[in-house]
Formats: sequence, structure tokens, C-alpha cells
Amino acid sequence: MKVVLQNVTKIFPSRNKKSKESVIAVDDFTFTVPDGKLVGLLGPSGCGKSTTLYMISGLQKVSGGKIFFDDDDVTDLAAEKRGVGLVFQNYALYPHMTVRQNILFPLQNLKGDDKLSKDEMLDRATTAARLVQIDELMDRKPSELSGGQQQRVAIARALVKMPRVLLLDEPLSNLDARLRLQTREEIRRIQRETGITTVFVTHDQEEAMSISDLIVVMKKGIIQQIGKPQDVYDDPVNLFVAKFLGTPPINVFEGRVANGTLYIGEDAVLDVGGVEDREVTVGVRPEGFVYDPAGSLVCKLTGIEVMGRDMSVVSEKDGKVVRSIINSDVTVDPTLAEVRYTLKPNKVFIFDKTTEERIRF
Amino acid sequence: MADNIKVMKEKDISKVTRRAKTGGVVAKVLTYAFLVFMAIVVLFPFYWMINSSLKSIEEYRMSTPTFWPQHVMWSNYSEAFRVANLGRLFLNTVIVGVVSTILSLIITVLSAFAFARLQFKGKNILFAGLLATMMIPGELFTITNYGTVNDLGWMNTYTVLIVPFLVSVFYIYLLRQNFLQIPNELYLAAKVDGTSDIKYLWKVMIPLSLPTIISITILKMMGAWNSYIWPRLVANDDLHKLITNGLRGTAFLDEAGETNYPAQMAAVALVSLPLFLVFVFLRKYIIRGVSRSGIKG
Amino acid sequence: MVDNKQQWKAWLYLSPAIILLLVFTVWPIINTVRMAFLDGYKGLEAAGGATFSFGVQNFVKVVKYQKFLQCLGNTALMCVLTVPISTLLALFIAVCLNSIKALQKPLQTIFFLPYVTNTIAIGMVFAAMFNIVGSFIGTQNELISNAGIINNIITFFGGSNVNWINTGSSYAANIAVMVVYIVWNALPFKILILLGGLQSVNKQYYEAAKVDGTSRARTFWRITVPLLSPMIAYVVITGFIGGFKEYSSVIGIFGQSMGPANDAGRLNTMVGFIYDALSSNNQGRASAAALILFGIILVVTLINLYVSKKRVHY
Repeated sequence: MKVVLQNVTKIFPSRNKKSKESVIAVDDFTFTVPDGKLVGLLGPSGCGKSTTLYMISGLQKVSGGKIFFDDDDVTDLAAEKRGVGLVFQNYALYPHMTVRQNILFPLQNLKGDDKLSKDEMLDRATTAARLVQIDELMDRKPSELSGGQQQRVAIARALVKMPRVLLLDEPLSNLDARLRLQTREEIRRIQRETGITTVFVTHDQEEAMSISDLIVVMKKGIIQQIGKPQDVYDDPVNLFVAKFLGTPPINVFEGRVANGTLYIGEDAVLDVGGVEDREVTVGVRPEGFVYDPAGSLVCKLTGIEVMGRDMSVVSEKDGKVVRSIINSDVTVDPTLAEVRYTLKPNKVFIFDKTTEERIRF
Repeated sequence: MADNIKVMKEKDISKVTRRAKTGGVVAKVLTYAFLVFMAIVVLFPFYWMINSSLKSIEEYRMSTPTFWPQHVMWSNYSEAFRVANLGRLFLNTVIVGVVSTILSLIITVLSAFAFARLQFKGKNILFAGLLATMMIPGELFTITNYGTVNDLGWMNTYTVLIVPFLVSVFYIYLLRQNFLQIPNELYLAAKVDGTSDIKYLWKVMIPLSLPTIISITILKMMGAWNSYIWPRLVANDDLHKLITNGLRGTAFLDEAGETNYPAQMAAVALVSLPLFLVFVFLRKYIIRGVSRSGIKG
Repeated sequence: MVDNKQQWKAWLYLSPAIILLLVFTVWPIINTVRMAFLDGYKGLEAAGGATFSFGVQNFVKVVKYQKFLQCLGNTALMCVLTVPISTLLALFIAVCLNSIKALQKPLQTIFFLPYVTNTIAIGMVFAAMFNIVGSFIGTQNELISNAGIINNIITFFGGSNVNWINTGSSYAANIAVMVVYIVWNALPFKILILLGGLQSVNKQYYEAAKVDGTSRARTFWRITVPLLSPMIAYVVITGFIGGFKEYSSVIGIFGQSMGPANDAGRLNTMVGFIYDALSSNNQGRASAAALILFGIILVVTLINLYVSKKRVHY
């Protein structure tokens, strides 16, 4: 089932009674979550991504616009009637109930035609538990589980009522680094196996990039860019998106275009025919540097960190730190005073200095 | 020179530590002596109550007291039941205690839920107003309530002992605070799953606040057990009299106007026993409630 | 985000509490003030159609009334004696309890025991302990000559018998018995609160004091008491509020005569005065006295708060 958001807006009245200004948390939001896909809402805190998720769930009402599940208009439908499964950031497991009771809880709310027999409920609960691989833990209390296990219980509880849409709010933020890696693969697997349309919220770009079919990058309530993770990474529409995606982050320089050539400082680094002469902001991905003793970009070498397959060369250009990733087959003499690079054109983006919009070349 | 200083220092140090050690032992002995003495003072009335309740009246009146009855007179207890009609008093107290506790809990839970979970206009003002009434001494209400229950025709009924004290602002406050500690996400999660408010209250909030609810139950029951002034004013007839009122009546006077102390002490012991049992088994919950209230009963 | 359904539901849930509060709390507040300011208001006469003029005569009469002054005096005296004694005693006990390891739990339990008692029932035990059974000037062959266990203890240590609560007893002796009983009754709550406070005090303060060679007494007055000052202020304030409402403990010891048999009402209290006025249908007088009691409690609490604001150390 696809989820369609049409001009969705959320305005919160100001908490401060003196100023009448209200806060626009989500501004004119339009996009479609395709059927059976995993979509990540990505942005820094306060960008409106959780609010969007809550509006899809029905826990928060929209201030304007419409939400459709396939062709059904669910804009005014209460949360419990939308058939969504929601996993909270802190899991919101009922602390006094066992894992089994927690998973059974949503099923016990079903009424009328949907009402299930005891056996059916247990059956469904077991299936859900097996899917997230916690069927051994059914009689434990949440406090006796690790963070990762609690996470799985929360997912099982959301899945057990066979939701039309699964919503995950910062699903990995309460887990330690190792578990995070493992759990995100797990979420991917569960989503693939069930084929449920899934939306999740995160502030961690790596997390979003690694498992999403589609990412939506947001900033201050406004959608910046929607696309496949790799596409967004390779082709950011503005400086914010370019900076937000990628580790280590993109290197940003002050630069200018003169006679179809891009300059960083005094170094002519790239041919950018077609762009008129102007001051620009230049972003270069760490992997966009090619070590080349004859290269045109000259940086002061400050250090080399070898990380197995790759090495990270740290240098300085006009007082700014430049971090490049270079294949470790190349040897760089650490005693050198300066390094020289040529740049890969597809890893260099230039942006308008004031609007920060991408200038294509 | 330097050696001398070193020697002196060592001497001083050993002296000081020795003095500190003996000081520590003396202090410890004094501490325990004081505590044990105070514990005896605290316990003595209970011991004397039981000791006296088991004596014959002649032994009780002897000029040299005996510290354990020469003949244990269990009959004082049955005597107490007979002369003071204790059975009826217990029954009345239990009826009033149980009914008022149940009704009071229902009212408290519903109100605390509304204040903790629901949004409505005037919530904060109403809550502040409720808290303000806690400052006013109860005697001020009694004067009018005495007239009110009289007008309602409630004199000498169970109703008059139960209804006027069903709402306790303090308990509402206590439970509301507890409800507020339950994370909001639990409520949202339940709502997404289609849980009704009442079911959420029953299945999640009440189980999670059970310790507070038990505390309230015990304190409320103790309140009924110990109440004296109001029952004496409005329901002092034999059918509805409560236990405390029965105790301080004239039941234990003999024909000569002398008090039958052993029987009276037996009655006191019988009244104290349930409280004592509650204390032994549920002390944790009483302390929990008391340490936040400062109100006895 | 106030939606109508929630409004409606909230008021539904609150309705039992609100209705009962309106009838038994809000109306009494209004009505008590009204009755207090209607000169000589009597419930029965009002029901018979009599009207009363507005005025402050109730207050004037109450204040001039000998019995009222006696009740006020008794209450204030008991308060002033018992609050400091019980607070200090509780403080010492709490500090001692906090400093020991062995027996701490059982002793703590014992000290809390008086809390779960029926004030009147245990008051009767105290009365029995202080009571003189029969005549204590009794002749040799008189069997009935028990001077009471307390007097037995006093004579054991070489003292002489005291007539504590019987006919002909002195006011001082009566008050002494009341003070002993009220302190006994007040200790558990105070110990509980103070011990709770002590246990939350950071141990490092004491370690620091020890390293600096501070004496025990100095540690107590300069570290423990200041750190505990919020809890001390709390038990003092609640102690005063409770003290001004003293009533049941007097009933427990003396019975409904509120004094020795030859001088009924000698130990009557403020609350007792209100109930007496109410029982004799003098609602105006009772209301005025209740408002005065409320005023006194308010003033004492405010003074306490003011003092503790200056003295409480954080």
C-alpha cells in the first residue's frame, strides 16, 4: 500500500503566550511512499521528521493538506482506525507485562468482526515473535531484556496486528554502535520479508543511506530532496544536503569561477565551462581527491591515517582542514610539506554563495 | 633533629588514633544505650497493655505490680467482646472502612486520570483550587457538614460515615503525580493500537501505580479504623457506632463506677491488633504514603 | 489541542469528586464564614425562621469567653512544649539510627510502631499507666492501693507518688502526662522524615569533616542540622499544625470529660471548644472559633516559613 502526503502542513501554536507567532513544524509537504518500500525521513533535530511520522500515524492532526493510504483519505481518521504499527524511540513497552502480553495487547483491542479467538491471538503473537527472533523470550519482562531485544519486541508488537503501514521513530538511536549495525540489517530483513510499507525517522544519515529504498532529506520543516540514497549522495540539490550526507563529511571551500575555470584559493582546480564568473562555495567529497604530484590543488600536509583498505590524508588549505580518502596502494610520503591533488569532476559540487543552491556545470 | 621530629610525630599519631578508637567505642556504646532505652520507652505501653489485659482485676489492683500475670486470664478478651459489644463495633467499622475505601479509590483514580492525562479548559485553576482546600483545617468543614447531613436525614446511618469523606484531595494529588511519571509514549502506543481510555487506565496505569494505590488503600482503611470525632457527632447509636467510639464509652465501668481495666486493655489490644498486623505486613506501603503526607490516618 | 471529546470526558471523570467537594468542602467554607459573621447564629433558631444581623459579635464573644481562652492556652502550651521536645528527640534518634549498622532495621521498625496505633486506644493505655487505682493514701489492709506503673517506677528510683490524672491532680501533672503522650505519638513521623533526610545526605561531607578533625558535636550542629534544615522545617511546621488541632489525645487520656473528674474541661482544646459549641447548637460561635483556629494555623505556618526561609540553608 502506498502512502501519499499532499500539501501536508503542521503549525504549532506558540508556547510563549506573549508572542502570537506560531511555529511551522512541517511546511507544505508532498510526497509518496511507494508500496512495499522502506523510506527514511532524514534531517537534524527539529526538522519536523517526527511530526510527519506522527501525522501519518494519526496521533497528531494535520493543520492543512491531506494524507491518503492508497486511495483512502485518512486525514481525519483516528490513529486506531488507520491500521498503522508504530515503534517508539524508547520502545514504550508496558513494563509490567511480559513480552507475550505486550505483543498480545494490540490484538485484545480488536472488536466486532476483527475479534480473534485466544488461539488465533497466540498464533499471531508467536509468528510475530518468530519473525523478529524473540520467541525464546516470551515470558520475560521488558526490564530483563537488552536494548536490542526490547527493540525487537516493540517491532513485533507493531507487526502483530498486520498493519498497513509500519512507522519507526528513531529505531536505532537507543542502541550501541555494534548493535545498531546488526539491528538495521534486521529491520531491512523484516521489512523485505513482510513487504509492509515502512517509514522511519532518523537523524543519522549513514543509517538512512544504508537501508532505505528512498530517503527524504528535511530541514526546518521543508523537504530538501527526495530520492534513492545513492542518487541524493551523488547529486545533492543544495549545500545542506551535500553536507548532511556522507562520512567523513564533504570538504567545503570558498572558491570562484573565472573564465570557465573553478579556483580554490589561487589554484585552478577544474574546468567548469558554462558557469558565468562568480564567487561560489565548493564542496568536494573526500573520495574526490586524486593524489597527484603534478596536481593543481596544493594543500599543506598535516597527517596521514591509514585505515586498512583506505587512508585518510589530512591537510590544510587556506587554514581549513581538508580530509581526503585515498586508496592505500598509493604511497604518500608523510614527511612532505605539501600534497597535490587533482579532483574528480563528479565528486565536486559548486553552490551559490548566498542561496546555497547547486550550480550545475 | 629531623629524626626527633619524626619520632614525635609517630608518637602523636599513635596517641591520636588510640584516643579516637576509644572515643569511637564509647560513642558507639552510648548510641546503642540511648536507642535501646528509647525503644523500650516506645514499646513499654504495648507491653503494659498486653500484660494488663491478661490479669485478673484483683491482680491488676495489687499495690506491687506484677510484670507477667500470675494467672493468664484469656477470659478478659471474651469479657471485652461481651460488655463493649465489640463484635458489632468491628462489623460497623469494617463495613464503613471497606465501602468508603472502594468508593474513594474509584473517585481518586478517575480524578487523577483526568488531571494527569486529559486536556480540558480550566484544568490548572481547578487543580490549584483543590490543593488550596488542603490548607483548611477539617474542623471548619465539620460545622456545616453536621447541618448538611442532618438536613439530608443521614443521621445515624452508614451513609453519613462514608460519603462526606470520600474525596481526598491529597490522594488525588499523590496518584496524579504517579500517573504523570508514566511515559507519554505508552499512552500513544496504546492509542495507535485502539485501546480505549478506560482500558488503558485499567490495564496500564493502575498496574503501574499499584504501590501508590495500595498505600492509599491502607491509609484510608486506617483512617476509618481511627476516626472518632465525626462518628461521635453523627452516628453514635448502637447500630452504627464505630470501634473507637465504643472504646471510650462507659462500657467498662462496673456497678461501683470502677473501671474494669483488664477488660478495657483487652479491648484496646483487640483494636490495636489489626493495625499491628497491617503494619507488620505492609509497612513499606504505609511509610511510602506517610513520608509524603504527614497526615495521620 | 483541546478537543471536545476530551473536555467532555474529563468533566465526566471528575464529576463525582467535584459534586462531593462542592457539597462537603466548598459550601462549608462559604457557609462557615457566613455563620461566623451572623451575630449569635444558631442552627435550630435559623431553621425556625429567625434572622440574624451581620456583625462580628461571635468573634468578640469567643475571644472574651473564659473557656475559649482556657482552650487556647492549653492548646498553645501543649504545642510549645511538644514540638521542640519531639523534634529534638526525633533528631537525636534519627542521627543515632543513621550512625549504626547492626540492629538498624529492627530499631527503625520499633520506632515507627506508634504511628500505626489508634490515638484514643493507646491513650487509654497511657491513662492506665498513669492512673491511680483506688486510693493511694490507702490504709495497710486495703487491697486496692495500686498507684499505677509509672508511680511504681518513680518510687523504685526513690521518688514519691504523683497524682497524675485523678481527682485532685494538679494542672502541671496533667500537662506533663499530655506532653509525654503527644511526644510518644509524634516521634515516628518525625523520625521517618528526618532519617529519610539523613540517608540522602552525601556521605562526603562527613568524610571531609572527619579528615579535618571536626568533633562529633560540631559535626552535628554545623553539618547535620544545616543539611537537614528543610526536613526539620517540615516536621516543625506539620508539628505545629497538628498540635493546634490536638483533641483525640486528650480524649484518649481523660475521656470525654477532657480533664480530671473534679475539673471537667480543664484540658479542653481549640478543636474541643468548636465541637462543644457545635453540640450545643451554637453554630455561629463554632464558626467563629474555627476561623480563629484557621487564622492561628495560617499565621504560625507563615511565621515558621519566614523563619525557616532565613534559617534553612538551601
